[in-house]
Amino acid sequence: MPLELYYFLSITAVNILLSWAMYLPYRVAHLHFITVANMAISGYSAGWLVMTLHVPFGWALLVGFALGGGIGYLVSLFIGDAPTFAVVIVGFTFIFITRTVIENLNAVGGTMGMFGLPDIGGNPDAHRWIIMAILAGLLLLVGFLLHRFDHSRLGRAASAVFVDKDLAASLGVDIRRLGMLLQTVSCTIAGGTGVLYGFIYRSLHVDFFTFELVGIAMTIVFVGGYATPWGTVVLAPILYGVPLLLPPAVQEWRIVLYGAALVLVLVLKPEGFITRRFVVSLESFLSVSRKKRNSFTREET
Amino acid sequence: MKKLLGLLVVLAVALAVMGCSQPAPKEWDIPFLNSLTGPIASIGAYLEWGADQAATEINAAGGISGKPVKIIPVDTGMDPQKGSTEMARLVKNTLVALGPVPEPVIMAAMPIAVEAGMPSITATTSLEYAQKFFPWTISWFPSTKDRLAPLVAAWAKQFPDMKKVVQFVENYGPWPGMADAHSAGLTDAGVQVLAPVEVPSNAVTFAPLVVKALSEKPDGIIFVCKPGSAAKLVKELKSRGWKKMDHLLLFSSADAPDLYTTGGNDLNGAEIYNYINPDINTPRWDTFKKAYMDSHNGEQPPSLSTNYYDAVYMIKDAIEKTGVTGSPSKLKAERKLIADYLQNVKGFHGIMFDWDMKDGIPTNKPAYIFKIENGQKVLVQEVR
Repeated sequence: MPLELYYFLSITAVNILLSWAMYLPYRVAHLHFITVANMAISGYSAGWLVMTLHVPFGWALLVGFALGGGIGYLVSLFIGDAPTFAVVIVGFTFIFITRTVIENLNAVGGTMGMFGLPDIGGNPDAHRWIIMAILAGLLLLVGFLLHRFDHSRLGRAASAVFVDKDLAASLGVDIRRLGMLLQTVSCTIAGGTGVLYGFIYRSLHVDFFTFELVGIAMTIVFVGGYATPWGTVVLAPILYGVPLLLPPAVQEWRIVLYGAALVLVLVLKPEGFITRRFVVSLESFLSVSRKKRNSFTREET
Repeated sequence: MKKLLGLLVVLAVALAVMGCSQPAPKEWDIPFLNSLTGPIASIGAYLEWGADQAATEINAAGGISGKPVKIIPVDTGMDPQKGSTEMARLVKNTLVALGPVPEPVIMAAMPIAVEAGMPSITATTSLEYAQKFFPWTISWFPSTKDRLAPLVAAWAKQFPDMKKVVQFVENYGPWPGMADAHSAGLTDAGVQVLAPVEVPSNAVTFAPLVVKALSEKPDGIIFVCKPGSAAKLVKELKSRGWKKMDHLLLFSSADAPDLYTTGGNDLNGAEIYNYINPDINTPRWDTFKKAYMDSHNGEQPPSLSTNYYDAVYMIKDAIEKTGVTGSPSKLKAERKLIADYLQNVKGFHGIMFDWDMKDGIPTNKPAYIFKIENGQKVLVQEVR
């Protein structure tokens, strides 16, 4: 696989997973930035396990998922039904605390970072294919789960909570438990993604997990469309890939372009490019086409 | 039929031979993975300026092996994601590169250069980072402890009345390691090292930090933080009655334009160390200083501004002295030739002084302590 394609695809996949991890709790109006801190905690923990204790990568990855989920669950006990603003504050605080702890932990390299994470599979080519396979599998799994969630009773309950918590509660939705569930799943996804992020670079630095990463994910979710997971899938490669194709003089303005795109979308199309109505129309169109095709085939036979 | 077959064979052989000996390029393109946007864009701008200045001079003098050289700016915006993707693109057919800048992008992108076997000079980071990627890069500095401990000891020995020193330290990349080296130098000079005061990266108010430092009753203070933060801390100290300005020492990474624009005359009398000396007179350095000051409203060149200037000249030497042709068909071998040459350069003519490299580490580079007067640096002493 060409190197540049590998980095483009793998980093795009990480951005999609991180954005999905933020999308999920946003279904109940929680902007859960703790996901970025969880990426760092799980990434560094897995790096330490592999480098220091020589734990196989597979186990380290599982620990990363579990750690992310565990921290997400513990925090959700306190903010499972908190208002949006409180969740944002907890997320920012958690990122600060995580950075400070990592910077002062010599076991994981402190401010210097962690160098030389090993190739999985023994050589760089195998490493890349394994990382890509895991990322692809994870994308399919998480995408499938999100799709099922959106079409389930839980998804409809989340939509009700998003619109009006009191109304949702009066309809019998357990707001706290739903918030806890979404936050825990979100942090689990982020934990595993953090491990993969570190192993893509084969090094870890505390500045890999900054507020800029929050900004990237937020832009992907809000410009792509926060009401369905598909906006993320469309926008992540565009947002990351298009600037790479621009001439250098234009590339220098990419942050301005991101900002302008975000402002324009928020003003002109607040739900983002891919809206739920669009997805429903597309699904019904595809379903009608399929029915027509099936009936045509039956008539022929 | 036989004639046609013969013709095809001849054609195939000719094509194969042509494919093997692709012509060398007419120009040396050297990509520079730099941070031209984002939090350190101002530093990236003068690093780029230095590299461009070297290319302009080299081209005016006939180029490298008779061919012009061009620095290709590649902006990473200090973003590891972009840095790694750009490096992955470059390693396909680049002979040698400059950068990346700074440490987070180095850590994300340099493993790709190492895997591809492409030399890339990271001329602004410490040995502790660079050596992880040897032999595909070199260090611009000796080990942090070897370089900074004697320097800070020399500073401390100027003031027999200085018994206790506190450091303001920002937790970023190599900076805590630099603070440790300062502490070692202070201990060597018989000065008591007080508990450091951590400077948050996004600090807005500096008064609590200064109050905390002054509560330890220090005789001297060392600043290991961003230029703007250092300037604000000095201003805050002065507003609280600090008088002994020469007992303040700013570290090299603080020597950037925003230190002087933020600090203004409040910095007068404070001392600062770095690796370039404006008072040295060599023809190239004089030209560089004049050109820099002309294009930067009279500002002196900052501490790191010559690093990539020298790096471009070092690449020129490597290409010319190893007979590298730039032919794409010899890419792998010629990359190795350049990397090997860079590791052990002898008698390199830098813009200010000559130095040697031993196994990727410079052996005899000086450092300087200056006093700041009205935004200008006045040499106090050279330390080797």
